[in-house]
Amino acid sequence: MIQLAQETREGWCVVAVRGRADSEAADELENALRAAVEQNPRVAVNLWSLSYISSAGLRAVLQGARAAEAKGVEFLVCSPNNSVKKVFDMSGLHHVMKIQERLPC
Amino acid sequence: MLTMLEEVVLLAVDERTGSLRSTREFGTAYALVGAVFFDLALARKIDTDTETIHIVDHTPTGNSTLDRVLAQMSQRPDLKTVRDWIEELFLERADLEGEALASLIASGVLRHEKSKLLWIIDVERFPLVDNQPHEYVKTRLAHAILSDEIPDTRDIMLVSVAEACGLLGYILSDAELKRRKERIGVLTNLETISRKVREAILGLDQSARAATTRVM
Repeated sequence: MIQLAQETREGWCVVAVRGRADSEAADELENALRAAVEQNPRVAVNLWSLSYISSAGLRAVLQGARAAEAKGVEFLVCSPNNSVKKVFDMSGLHHVMKIQERLPC
Repeated sequence: MLTMLEEVVLLAVDERTGSLRSTREFGTAYALVGAVFFDLALARKIDTDTETIHIVDHTPTGNSTLDRVLAQMSQRPDLKTVRDWIEELFLERADLEGEALASLIASGVLRHEKSKLLWIIDVERFPLVDNQPHEYVKTRLAHAILSDEIPDTRDIMLVSVAEACGLLGYILSDAELKRRKERIGVLTNLETISRKVREAILGLDQSARAATTRVM
């Protein structure tokens, strides 16, 4: 189960992701990120309340980042908790997208 | 659209001679297993985390190889990790390659030729009938490695499997591979399945080295 919320703060579109980003939720997550990228010049994905991410979830985030890159949109992945951060670290996603501990706004 | 397994087997066909090329026999076998899992993941039938693999949808894909593996997975709930399943399917490596070749022949991409070498030895070749899919796979692979863009999920998987099969040297020059070594390392690390395939190959290499040392 995933819950997504979107708000605009200081010029950033913040997409807050709560719950589990797994294969069941991957399409919803990817579509939300693509939609945010389509409409905003700067997108921050807030993973503070994300409890679990699977390979399908990672692919959804990666494809969001890919869409942002293609459109020249700034795209940040922010505030993953320790268990989610561990998954990002293991996959080395920080080599292909920006991941940081705090939100930019 | 070709499956990941078919794309990698197609990549292994020498476009000039129609012979199958591979520099790492067992590495290729593990990588083909990885390709099947990637196909199942792309079809949203399985999902993985950093260690485990599980079925998320039991309904058939329509592809006989994928459905056979999916059915096998359903019957073995005791096997839970990606590594366990890679080792389990590794035993079927000949089937995977053979099934992909049969499918590529059936869809008109390849044709099958049998001949004799020195009147005795059977030689099998798979000349390209339609050059386009082969070129398409090569182009995507080269672009994923040589550009700095974030690749499509499918192309990340393709790079991972082709690298494990030792096929990148047929697509890119030594200089290009050397220059993009770091990029290849990053792409092949992104997916759990490819990390576990790499571990399995490494484990096999270590076992082989240990066995050689004992013999000596």
